[in-house]
Amino acid sequence: MSVVESPTTRRTGGSTPHRAPGRARRTRRNRQTTGLPWLLSLPALILLAGLLGYPLVRMVVLSFQNMRLRELLSGRTPPWVGFDNYTKVLSDAEFWRVVGRTFAFTAVTVVVSVLVGLGIALLMRRVTRGVRLFMIVAMMFVWAMPQLVAAQIFRWITDSDFGVINYFIDKLPGVDYQNHSWFVNPWQGWSVITTLVVWAGIPFLAITLNAGLTQVPKELVEAATVDGASGWQTLRNITLPILKPLLIIVTTLSVIWDFGLFTQNWVLRDGHPEPQFQTLATYSYTQAFGQSRYSLGSAISVITVLLMLGVMAFYIRQMFRIGEVE
Amino acid sequence: MKRKIVAVAAIAATLLGAAACGSNDDDSPTTSASGAVDGKGKTLKVWLMVDAQTSWKNVVDDASKRFTDATGAQVNVEYQQWANHLTKLDATLAGSDVPDVVELGNSEFPKYVFSGAFTAINPADYENSGTWLQGLNDACGFEGKSYCVPYYAGARVLIYRTDLFKKAGIADAPKSYDEFLADADKLQAAGKSDAKFGAVYMPGQYWYSAMSWVKSTGGDIAKQDGDKWVGQLSQPASVQGLQRWVDMVKKYSKADPTKNENDQAGIFAQGEAAAFYGNTWEQGAAEQVKKDPNDPNSPLVDTKVKGKLASAAMPDVPSFLGGSNLGVTEKSQNKQLAAQWIKYFTDSTSMAGLIKANALPNSTSLLDKAATDNPGLAPAAAAAKNSWFTPQAEKWADVEKGNVLQTMLTDILTGKKSVADGAKWADDQINTILNES
Repeated sequence: MSVVESPTTRRTGGSTPHRAPGRARRTRRNRQTTGLPWLLSLPALILLAGLLGYPLVRMVVLSFQNMRLRELLSGRTPPWVGFDNYTKVLSDAEFWRVVGRTFAFTAVTVVVSVLVGLGIALLMRRVTRGVRLFMIVAMMFVWAMPQLVAAQIFRWITDSDFGVINYFIDKLPGVDYQNHSWFVNPWQGWSVITTLVVWAGIPFLAITLNAGLTQVPKELVEAATVDGASGWQTLRNITLPILKPLLIIVTTLSVIWDFGLFTQNWVLRDGHPEPQFQTLATYSYTQAFGQSRYSLGSAISVITVLLMLGVMAFYIRQMFRIGEVE
Repeated sequence: MKRKIVAVAAIAATLLGAAACGSNDDDSPTTSASGAVDGKGKTLKVWLMVDAQTSWKNVVDDASKRFTDATGAQVNVEYQQWANHLTKLDATLAGSDVPDVVELGNSEFPKYVFSGAFTAINPADYENSGTWLQGLNDACGFEGKSYCVPYYAGARVLIYRTDLFKKAGIADAPKSYDEFLADADKLQAAGKSDAKFGAVYMPGQYWYSAMSWVKSTGGDIAKQDGDKWVGQLSQPASVQGLQRWVDMVKKYSKADPTKNENDQAGIFAQGEAAAFYGNTWEQGAAEQVKKDPNDPNSPLVDTKVKGKLASAAMPDVPSFLGGSNLGVTEKSQNKQLAAQWIKYFTDSTSMAGLIKANALPNSTSLLDKAATDNPGLAPAAAAAKNSWFTPQAEKWADVEKGNVLQTMLTDILTGKKSVADGAKWADDQINTILNES
């Protein structure tokens, strides 16, 4: 809370250092801040500390131990191994392949889904009210579908023995797609996974961006049109700058969601993804729970969180910068 | 991110449970199953796998009834799914409220015995213990003591379409591997008008099958050398068997190279193959399916292949002896009662019930009886006599869970690796996993 407010507060203080009302307002607020807000947020803070803070601390501790099934079952404190787990993970070529794959997947998926989402949002501004309503309802249905269900349905659609995709492609003249397996070739397999994630991600993006587009003042667009600006110029110079804060937020959220990919590739590969279909989330899960290397899995998770923070720091800074300009 | 937190919370929860429970002795005494135990007012918690519920629930109920009559203790049986039972077991055993009796697959047992999850038992307390099937019993031994009781076994056999065999001019099941290949050629030729048809349905990640072929040429998965395990797949004999399997699959199977054998009976029931390699009970699963798969009491409906199937031992190929064992958990509060229940559930009366339900009994002395009592079991009983088992390494379950062999097979079948390269890669993985401290 204080982080969000600080730039504004600083600015008010800086630009009008000697104005009495400003100072008075600030003191009044300070007095109020002392007890009540903290008290009110206490339940939430306790919950967060218990449900997020404690496991996080345990995970970090665990990553410096060597906990295997024997220790888990006997309750003995696992031996301390210092940075062994980290050196093991970081010197493993397989881990870096997983990292590279996770980043590449995130980049492709985020770019595609934001672009398509934006395209659909722009289209929604052009169509009649009835069509727009239809689009929103259709997308709401997609949005409402649980990830697990969607992934399971995609698994059936692409099944090599019973899948409806193979059936239809095979109907094309001169194409033999019977018993085609979509997961032999990693590029094909990842296209299926990416399609699923993009498809499920578009409703949120399109509906949010559509809401953002309604905030673009009509007069500005009209004025630009009168001045002879093309559609592309209007989009680039008027619509997008106004939409930018929202675009950055939805992109950030997409990065967070797509980076943690688990359900989709897990279900499409029937709970045992091959090495070429592992992402950081499934990799750490397989190591920890599949192979009972709880400490190694923890170390992978810690590294994942750190990698993620590196990416996120950039975006969060970007977000504050926008806040300051306005 | 959210997923991560869930995973972390799960670890933390199990840790909490572990901390609350304290430690237990390494050298706990052997639990006896002989003598009378008064179990009045006590309830025994038993974890069995889902097969017992679907195929021989009457045997479970009968054994529990005899147990209750003798001891006065009640029994509460919970049925588990194969897909997630180990993860669930890990979390539960870390706590203090644990099941007293647990069933695990025989290849899963060594890891848990090594990790101290089960208490030592006295084999002499159990019926037929002198003739327990080697492949099941081997999984129970650790440092001179025995930690589990063999429960039932399954051997893989060739299940085939009698009508298609007849149509292709084949009178009988093949008697040798060469004959099997010749038959497959005939079947393939007879069915070539259908592009989806393959003589043999063999999914690419079916490693129990591939390893049986490896054994058929004298190969092996891994062997112990001093206190180290050494992967054997890249040895010439193993590569030869692997090549034999790959040639067969590539030539006769239209199955997905990235699928495993879990739904092979259902796919075979579509009628697009003349034979598959499966457990005896999979013949029934291919002939009839539940109308509503989610309802255990749902009526059965016939499939396209109903009444057209027969089974025979796969000629010249030793069968993987799959099966389950039962153990008494180290943290159980009712160890003696638990051992008593296992005694009833694995005695000759219970085994007779299992034979009726198409499962192989836990003892070689009962195999011949199984073949005469239930002619449908005869091929499996024959196959069980020529069977093999996975390496007796504590960490073997991690090789299975790590999908090492599955990945190797898919890579070979899709041409990503040659047989030799794939075998070399798998050996490296196996060496790392089995020898990890």
